[in-house]
Amino acid sequence: MVDLIHVKRIVFVVLAASLFVLGAGQAPVRAESGDKVVIGVPAWPSARATSHIISQVLTKEFDLDVELRRTGTLRIFAGIDNGSIDIHPEIWLPNLTALVDKYATDRGSLTLSPQGVTASQNLCVTRATAEAVGISSVTDLSKPEVAAQFDTNGDGTGEMWIGASTWSSTLIERIRAKSYGYAETMTLLEMEEDVAMAGVDVAAATGTPIVFYCYAPHHLFELHDIVVLDEPDHDPATWSIVLPTEDDTGWLERSKAASAWDESGFRIGYGTGLSEKRPEVAKFLNAVTLSADDITAMSYALEVLRQDPKDFAAEWIERNDNRVKEWLR
Amino acid sequence: MTSRKTSRFCAGTVSRRAMFALPLLFLPSQGRSAVSESLILDPATRKWVPYDSRQAIMYYRSHGRSPKEFQRQLVSFRTAEKPGTIIIDSNKHFLYSVLPDFQAVRYGIGVGRDGFGWAGIVKVGRLAEWPTWTPPAEMVARDARAAKWAGGMPGGPENPLGARAIYLYEGGRDTIYRIHGTNEPWSIGLNVSSGCIRMTNDDVTDLYARVAVGAKVIVLNQGAALFRGV
Repeated sequence: MVDLIHVKRIVFVVLAASLFVLGAGQAPVRAESGDKVVIGVPAWPSARATSHIISQVLTKEFDLDVELRRTGTLRIFAGIDNGSIDIHPEIWLPNLTALVDKYATDRGSLTLSPQGVTASQNLCVTRATAEAVGISSVTDLSKPEVAAQFDTNGDGTGEMWIGASTWSSTLIERIRAKSYGYAETMTLLEMEEDVAMAGVDVAAATGTPIVFYCYAPHHLFELHDIVVLDEPDHDPATWSIVLPTEDDTGWLERSKAASAWDESGFRIGYGTGLSEKRPEVAKFLNAVTLSADDITAMSYALEVLRQDPKDFAAEWIERNDNRVKEWLR
Repeated sequence: MTSRKTSRFCAGTVSRRAMFALPLLFLPSQGRSAVSESLILDPATRKWVPYDSRQAIMYYRSHGRSPKEFQRQLVSFRTAEKPGTIIIDSNKHFLYSVLPDFQAVRYGIGVGRDGFGWAGIVKVGRLAEWPTWTPPAEMVARDARAAKWAGGMPGGPENPLGARAIYLYEGGRDTIYRIHGTNEPWSIGLNVSSGCIRMTNDDVTDLYARVAVGAKVIVLNQGAALFRGV
């Protein structure tokens, strides 16, 4: 299955993969976390913030000893499976469907919260761009006179960032560009995310038109006034993805993606053993509901304002006292 | 770092070419000058055409400084990057030094042909005051003026690296790219093949005082990476 959302998480997954493979052939080792609850904490900001929020609620409301363990997603899955880790704060789907199928469905060691946060992928412009260029739709990019307004090298065609070259979503953005037709009018750039985001910062500071691939939740939406370009809702009939292989150079020609990305999202996951050991904690985790705006705010606080996640979580819990109480009912 | 074009002429001063930067101010010349002939990139044909850099020199002399937009100034700058980060917009000839509270110091820069062919993320690896300039062997071989300094030109006002140099590293290794001062302040705002990222000596001295070894440097892809192979 093609993972439909990349986010940085893909990179973490790939980095952790070798470690995971090394341990894959071994029999599960029972390493119960005992009375302590262990939260596996991936590196990205919203997962760190959510981990601290859960941790502080468990400590305060359930009088539990909680350990926050920084590690990669695949190690968290393996830890939940062998009992050494109890909670994963953000399990992305469909990215990690194969692992969820393995641990939740086949082995029964993982339980997903029924509550999810919806994520999305689009093409975006700054508000100033939308007003100056008059662009509102992805299909506008196929018009040469619109595309030319994104020209930064004087060759008459526009330029746009479509993702990092290591992201699986970038291949699909290339397919989308071909399918919508703007591959003919725009030069598609692949670059590290930090370079692209700094490009948005500069474009916003100078009033320069810019169009780029974007995903949400993301702190970008809090940092700048961003407009998501319209496009037809996702229609599976318009999507047919052929991924490139060494022997197949015609993947792009044979692929199509002429409508919006399908919805994706993430959920809290926890060890099934936790619901037996601490049913009240499992009940609480099943009730935690966060919105995309919550996640964007978390990401902004940690990534842009550089708040300490522990301090952020304490303030967040205080500000959202009623919501937390609701989760605890 | 990605999309980097390798070159050994990053700090050279002899072979001079210019890309379009200020089309209204610096129009390509019809004639040719033996002394100040340069080339400018025609965006329509993507070919180099003759250009007379004396117009830029005349502007600088008559005003005593670079055009206003290229003068050092404090600007609002919303970014997720840490204070101390440098962001280089080769396309618009601006360098931003990120400050706290969504502000930045913006400087005008000149971009060398070899400073224009890449985009990506590097780090400040080394800093030097009044750096020595050593011309590459190829330049020494073909140019008598460069040959004179084959063993290294001491730092000073005539040195093409100017008052300060900020050496850019990737993975702990020198990339050959530098942010440096210049002995040709009129060239700020232009793309002249000599040098990497050039600033006036005043500006590079100001930046030098703000930057630390290890600072992140982001070179944007707008315009920049697209000149590969030009």
